[in-house]
Amino acid sequence: MRRFRPHLVLALAGIVIASAAAEGADVGPTYALINLKVVPVSGPILEKGTIIVRDGLVEAVGPAGKITIPEDAEIVDGEGLTAYPGLISAHTNLFLEEAASPARPQSPAEFAAAVAPPSPPDQPGHEVFDQLKPKKASIDGFLKAGITTVLVAPGRGIFQGQSVLLNLNGEEAGPMVVRNPVALHLNFTTARGSYPSSLMGTIAYIRQKFYDAVHGATVRAVYAKNLKGMKRPAYDPFAMALVPFVRDKRPVVFQCNNREEIKRALTIIEEFKLNGWLSHANEAWREADLLKKTKLPLLVTLDARPPRSSLYVNQGEELRKKAEAEIYPANAANLAKSGVPFALTSLGLADGPAFLKAVQAAIKAGLSREDALRALTIRPAEYLGVAAELGTLEAGKIANIVLAKGDLFDEKTEIVQVFVDGVPAKF
Amino acid sequence: MKRWTVLVLAAFLGGGGASAQGPDSPVIAIRGARIIPVVGEDIPEGTILVRDGRIEALGKDVVLPSGVEIIEAKGLLAYPGLIDAYAFLGLQEITGVAATVDHRETGRFNPQVRTIEALRFDSMHIPIARSNGITAALVVPSGGIVSGRSALINLDGRNQRDMAVKPAAFLHVELPALRSGRVGAMGTRGGGEAPPADAGRILAEVRDLLNKARFYEKRRAFASKNTLLPKPMYDDTLGPLADVARGELPLMISVHSEKDIKTAIQFVAEEKLKAVFYGVEQGWKVAGELKEAGIPCVIGSLYDMPPVWEDGYDALFRNPGLLVKAGVRVAFSSSSATAAKDLPYHAAKAAAFGLDKRDALKAVTIDAAEILGVGGLMGSLEKGKMANIVLADNDILEPRTNVVHVFIAGRPVDLSNRYTELLDKFKKKGS
Amino acid sequence: MPKKLRFLILALGTLAAASVSAEAGGSLLIKNGTLLTVTRGVLVKADILVVDGLIRKIGPSLDAPPGLPVVDVSGKYVIPGIIDSHTHIALDGTNEGSEAITPEADVGRVVNADDVSILTALSGGVTMVHTMHGSANPIGGPNVVLKMKWGRPSEELVVPQAWKTLKFALGENVKQSNRTIQIGGPPPRYPQTRMGTNAVIRREFLRAKDYLAEWERYEKLRTSNNPPPTLVPPRKDLRLEVLADVLRGRMVARCHAYVAPETLEFLLLSKELGFKVACFEHAWEAYKIVDALAEANIGISVFADSWAYKMEAAEGIAYNAGYCAKNGVLVSINSDSGERIRRLFNEAAKTMKYGGLGEDEALALITINPAIQLGVDKIVGSLEIGKQADIAVFTGHPMSAYARCDMTIIEGDVYFDRDRLVREREEAVQISPAGKRGGLR
Repeated sequence: MRRFRPHLVLALAGIVIASAAAEGADVGPTYALINLKVVPVSGPILEKGTIIVRDGLVEAVGPAGKITIPEDAEIVDGEGLTAYPGLISAHTNLFLEEAASPARPQSPAEFAAAVAPPSPPDQPGHEVFDQLKPKKASIDGFLKAGITTVLVAPGRGIFQGQSVLLNLNGEEAGPMVVRNPVALHLNFTTARGSYPSSLMGTIAYIRQKFYDAVHGATVRAVYAKNLKGMKRPAYDPFAMALVPFVRDKRPVVFQCNNREEIKRALTIIEEFKLNGWLSHANEAWREADLLKKTKLPLLVTLDARPPRSSLYVNQGEELRKKAEAEIYPANAANLAKSGVPFALTSLGLADGPAFLKAVQAAIKAGLSREDALRALTIRPAEYLGVAAELGTLEAGKIANIVLAKGDLFDEKTEIVQVFVDGVPAKF
Repeated sequence: MKRWTVLVLAAFLGGGGASAQGPDSPVIAIRGARIIPVVGEDIPEGTILVRDGRIEALGKDVVLPSGVEIIEAKGLLAYPGLIDAYAFLGLQEITGVAATVDHRETGRFNPQVRTIEALRFDSMHIPIARSNGITAALVVPSGGIVSGRSALINLDGRNQRDMAVKPAAFLHVELPALRSGRVGAMGTRGGGEAPPADAGRILAEVRDLLNKARFYEKRRAFASKNTLLPKPMYDDTLGPLADVARGELPLMISVHSEKDIKTAIQFVAEEKLKAVFYGVEQGWKVAGELKEAGIPCVIGSLYDMPPVWEDGYDALFRNPGLLVKAGVRVAFSSSSATAAKDLPYHAAKAAAFGLDKRDALKAVTIDAAEILGVGGLMGSLEKGKMANIVLADNDILEPRTNVVHVFIAGRPVDLSNRYTELLDKFKKKGS
Repeated sequence: MPKKLRFLILALGTLAAASVSAEAGGSLLIKNGTLLTVTRGVLVKADILVVDGLIRKIGPSLDAPPGLPVVDVSGKYVIPGIIDSHTHIALDGTNEGSEAITPEADVGRVVNADDVSILTALSGGVTMVHTMHGSANPIGGPNVVLKMKWGRPSEELVVPQAWKTLKFALGENVKQSNRTIQIGGPPPRYPQTRMGTNAVIRREFLRAKDYLAEWERYEKLRTSNNPPPTLVPPRKDLRLEVLADVLRGRMVARCHAYVAPETLEFLLLSKELGFKVACFEHAWEAYKIVDALAEANIGISVFADSWAYKMEAAEGIAYNAGYCAKNGVLVSINSDSGERIRRLFNEAAKTMKYGGLGEDEALALITINPAIQLGVDKIVGSLEIGKQADIAVFTGHPMSAYARCDMTIIEGDVYFDRDRLVREREEAVQISPAGKRGGLR
């Protein structure tokens, strides 16, 4: 017995070590970020704090005096820098090869004139992860803007497909995945060269497909109990792909490009009792009362370009300029004032710099910095169901950290260093 | 030799001009009407004597010669026939059927085309217009930069040449229309609109052509005298510009924005041309300049939305009143063929928005005549003028009014038209 | 239809209706006008008292409760708000042209209350519109009736009392004969003839009948003593559901038709298939078949004289509206245009000359007649006690071309006031941004 034990212990240790090595990603250095101002979001700001990062996670965060620097830590001196949780953009169309389809429904004249090839058919079951092609330039741009986590959704079609949540860590899509799939995405747009070519057609199409899903699930349930003696039901892949969302209440994101589409989305969500989220919503302030009552996850884009049909855009040049410069950028501020909770996204914005400009514009228009920060960190984490892992600087959470010289949303701010999954990004 | 033949033929077709007489032009007395001469005071109850296509006499007491045909007009109002200063009458039957539409030639410069040569004298729209009191119209070309030559016609005659009062009335130049800035969803101009072409550059091209035309004329004239010199080949663009370049044929320039109107005023002054402006939607903004320059304006259709939101929802309706207030001479148009009969209602609409009612009437009668260069011939009920007369049971600018008689060049005109013919056909048939 | 869904739709509908009626309208006293009531004659120098959006009193020298705003209309004419029974304004899209039969596409779901055409309508005294599908399809889809309440959210514009109407279309637009053929483009859409159009309509209604039968069979089996274990409901088909509603009499047809034969054939088709036609749109050759229309008690909604733009409008005479009105057909005049909507009163006046209609008859063509055609004559269309205070004020008799609309009121709230607008223009020394929600300049 005695003779075997050391071998056993060693063997067991070996197995443990081996398995640990197999599960861990690159085991890089442990980092100790010191002398920082820390904005954890989950608690009060630390004027001088320390953050310990080990194996992709925040091991500890606290006031400078209270945190012991581990022996194996590489010191990162954060003198003059502020640490924030990495920002989360809860709706983007990044890394897709084809350009996203235009968000506007086509007028009959546009439809008639279209010579372009018809749009490909919708595939609601399709996971966007399969077609991701991350580009370094794009990733760097977002990191430099402080965004470490993005939800990538497909950009084309009405039933666009299913999104994935990524940490912008490295250049390979696989290791980036935080959650896959996240939600089904729908957009109020039209098909080109085929049905539906009008917005009202799109709405009927969406409803019909959900009814088909309900019907399909019902029939299959009956068939399952009557395999003998019942003709097997036809297989409708589209309807079947929707069953989890209709029957099992997996999340469905509706892209609402103006206030009416918010109401139209809510009607459909109510009709099928969906687990619905609303996105884009850059006129949401015009439906603040309704949104307050409905309490659905609200993903508000910082893209302040007014919708084409808005009355602010069709009553002369003056009002249109005011809409673009003042009224629409104030969307988030107005929602905050009305007490409507929301997350902010970069949907429709070209790149990182555009995102930063847009946040600054929203703040200039009256959104408080605190609200802006929460809307880009803890709130989207909560909506996305990843609040245990992301959204604040807390021990145990994923080490997505942004180090900025100055306040994160200042025009002159420079983002000096970004950690994603505990790994410093190189840009 | 050839030219003589053409003239003789034209004279035959035209019956010697619009003041034709003969068995169709009896001596007529319109008796007892309330006469609205437009120039001068109304005559509450008077008589108009018509002979040889002209008004021989009118007044409270007119001595009637023997054998005169008397039209009893007590209770009716007598107006000069209305004049449409910009119309497509005779050049459009069914607007959506291209085969029936002939006013828009292809290409940018078409001074050589003449509407008189395409005018369908038996268009179904002409009797409809004249049975609403319109007796003359300027029939215009459109499209490109130089669209062609318009013709002023009476709305009655044996054929288009017989109807022509002025077979070549204006050379038409078109500057870009005002388009309101409709914004696309992403803050861009929607629909791929190109920025509007610059009026200055367009007029520079026209100036250039006119200069070329002058030199072309000079060379051809000189070479005609000296047969040893080579003569420039006939140029279909420059040749037809000769009379314009000489200042003999006036221009009608379609111009719309404030900026372009100013540019056009300057152009006309520099080139020393006679010109009338058409459209002038933002004319009210530069009314002073228009008055200074002495350029009269033909108003486009009031059945359009104002192109610039900031000008106000009623900008097009208020425009004529503001121009007249500033001293600009103004005429109305239908700018149509299928809705030509609506000419009086454009005038009334302007009167609802500030134009004096009397001025509104003048703008479809005497002012239109003056602007079109026939002020001595028509546009008012005065001795010596062509007998284009309308008898109506109410104010001629009102839609409830029935026109009871129309005379063109002294001839009573058939008031039946496509509408009445079809109604009669199916009334009898029953269904 | 499954019980649960039926209840849901009813609940949503009630919610919508409740939210409309919950909004009580405005109150004011209109004084000293010439009132053209349309149904109760002309009252000179009379007042209208409006409280909470309804007309409460009409007569001379009315007393008003204290604090009520007073609008003095001395020298002006007061008429019921004008109703345009055929437009396409205030919508995000009007045609689902990719297929020929699309009744599942409902314009009521794409109302756009931001459309500035609403302001254009108000400037011409229009208070209510029947805004519709276009004419791309033999069967387009449901239409909606809206009040022109500029600045209100879209759900408040919908008039719930109006009949539910379904847009049909026949003729050139449907068979796409005015389009340019694209070489190498998509194949032409069936139908390309008038006979194909009727065949396609017939086909869909016969399918709808079968659909109804399928559901009836299902219900019977489901509620029977021994429903079979393999029983499943039929697939809910939104397209056929709408046609089923037409067959059930819950929706009426409004059919765009131009030439006489297609109008008559549609009448026969409706009888053959068993649905009700409320009105023919445009009906340019109605004068040729006036007796058939009068006998069938089907109204027409037409232009005054906008004709000769395509072959099927080549025999559209200006006497059409007036002649049909004089021969027992219920006629309304419509604009079908975001520009002409503000001149509807001028268009109606033309029937005095072309048709010999009197002032009151002409005014009825744009007030009580379209109200009857839309099923809202109990609440609008004339100045009567108890009706909604939809009112327009003109500087002269609206059948005079010299008249101008100066004020438009909907349910007692002033939505267009030219005097105020002109004052604002004059006061604007520097160019200042238009108000929070814009509005006419």
